[in-house]
Amino acid sequence: MNIPIWLIRREIWENRAIWIIPAVIGGFCILAALFGRVDAIALTSQLPSRAFGGALFAGVAGTYFAVMSIYSTWYLLDCLFTDRKDRSVLFWKSLPVSDTATVMSKLATGLIVIPLLYFAAADLTTLLVAFIVSVRARSIGGGLWHLDLWLQLQVLWLYVIATSAVWYLPIAAYLLVVSAWAKRAVMLWSILPPLGIILAERWFFGSYRFANALVVRLFGLFTLAFHSNPGKSDWFDRLVAEGNDGASAGIWGFLNASGFLSSADTWIGAAAGAALTACAIQLRMRRSEI
Amino acid sequence: MSALIEARDLTKRYGSHVALDRATFSVAPGRIVGLIGPNGAGKTSALRSILGLTAYEGQLQVLGREPFRERARLMRDACFIADVAVLPGWLSVENAIDFVAAVHPRFRRDRAAALLGRTGITGKRRMRELSKGMKTQVHLALTMAIDARLLVLDEPTLGLDILARRAFYDALVNDYMDDTRTILITTHQVEEVENLLTDVLFIDKGRIVLDASLDDIASRYGAVAVSADRMEAARAEKPFYERRMLGKMLLYYENPNLERLAAFGEVHTPSVADLFVAKLSGAPE
Repeated sequence: MNIPIWLIRREIWENRAIWIIPAVIGGFCILAALFGRVDAIALTSQLPSRAFGGALFAGVAGTYFAVMSIYSTWYLLDCLFTDRKDRSVLFWKSLPVSDTATVMSKLATGLIVIPLLYFAAADLTTLLVAFIVSVRARSIGGGLWHLDLWLQLQVLWLYVIATSAVWYLPIAAYLLVVSAWAKRAVMLWSILPPLGIILAERWFFGSYRFANALVVRLFGLFTLAFHSNPGKSDWFDRLVAEGNDGASAGIWGFLNASGFLSSADTWIGAAAGAALTACAIQLRMRRSEI
Repeated sequence: MSALIEARDLTKRYGSHVALDRATFSVAPGRIVGLIGPNGAGKTSALRSILGLTAYEGQLQVLGREPFRERARLMRDACFIADVAVLPGWLSVENAIDFVAAVHPRFRRDRAAALLGRTGITGKRRMRELSKGMKTQVHLALTMAIDARLLVLDEPTLGLDILARRAFYDALVNDYMDDTRTILITTHQVEEVENLLTDVLFIDKGRIVLDASLDDIASRYGAVAVSADRMEAARAEKPFYERRMLGKMLLYYENPNLERLAAFGEVHTPSVADLFVAKLSGAPE
């Protein structure tokens, strides 16, 4: 009997969008690959095949990642609210599952399970699209499949999932607090407190420290977790620049795990995330219905 | 045998409103107890406290545990149906069974399947496709398949038609109840559960006003119908409540002197519903 697994399975039963959205994105990509104009490929085949392959891989991955970020945010904001709204919380609480386990399962779903599912969907889509386009563009002479690029992309995905899970923990836990607390309009309630703090800080102190910290938290992961090499700003730029000459645009050199792990911001955020998670658990224990 | 539920000075406040005001009561094993009170009397607060769904003040032990701190452990031995229709719409019958079977060590899958088999509800169906009565049957099947020592029911038949209500209580008495189990039930339909109960707890304004077994009630309370011309004499026996009925007055007595009352007419034991009304309406002017 493995309760955490069943709790996560439960989340996937409830939130079918977890797999429907990636399936739809994949479907569109595959349709585009099957029926898109081959002369468009002919046009871009002026580009070196590696760069084009890289662009394709990164484009699919980027699409999935953007949608995943939005969906995951929505999921975390909604999950503890919706079962209070439909009162099913009274059924879940009649089972011998602690509120800690419940809240942790939602956190894990939002930060790890959903990203991994999107990652798997992105992989599958990339493989199918690369295969279809390679076959269709064969006459024009463009094979898009590059195993080393694909492998590098795997590393990139897993690294981003792992670092995001730590980096965005305070945001995710904050969303759970709102979800466990609000009586209605979770979206509005998630925005109001930070907005209030920003305005109050500006009013009383004339400064923007909280706003800046929030911007760093929301968008700072990539500058912290990746090396920015002067001249060749990131993996993808270098990939395109190096083109088809066979030189590997090695992903490893761009990952800055030690920089990420040694940053105080990482651990201050994680600690804040743990405190907010504890807060969400307490709210979940105390609030059953709306 | 020690009490299954032991509450002392149980208090629950919502801001300045006191929903439970130092309520003290206990529930012994093997009983079917009705928690009866008007709207806003504190029934739900009492049940929520007993089930660990809310924090409270005072002392409360359920199955030897503190409900709020140990809800998950308590739910291994206790289960509850809080109102009908709390099963979420997206949940299918078979997913519900799979999930409860996975997380509940005392859930007996074969029994759930047998109970559901009788209803003819198939496993693929989602709760949102089921009528309220069917949903209740699913919930009841899930709950009755759990070998729990305490079952708590909060208005279990609210919104059900009379057939579904009858089926619910029949299943409860015939398939579920035995002397290892205890049931605590709240309902507005007092008449409906009256012949089921072994004990009643009357609650009013957050306080327990009567904690008695039905046997106690039979020996402690009497009611007699008195014609108008004998009212003076009957009132001298100090009824605690009286009401008009078919041209006569019905007078209620606590610890009545049966011999003297017999002079006015036949003394009978008031029904739980009548006693409830009598108790809560208070003494005559």
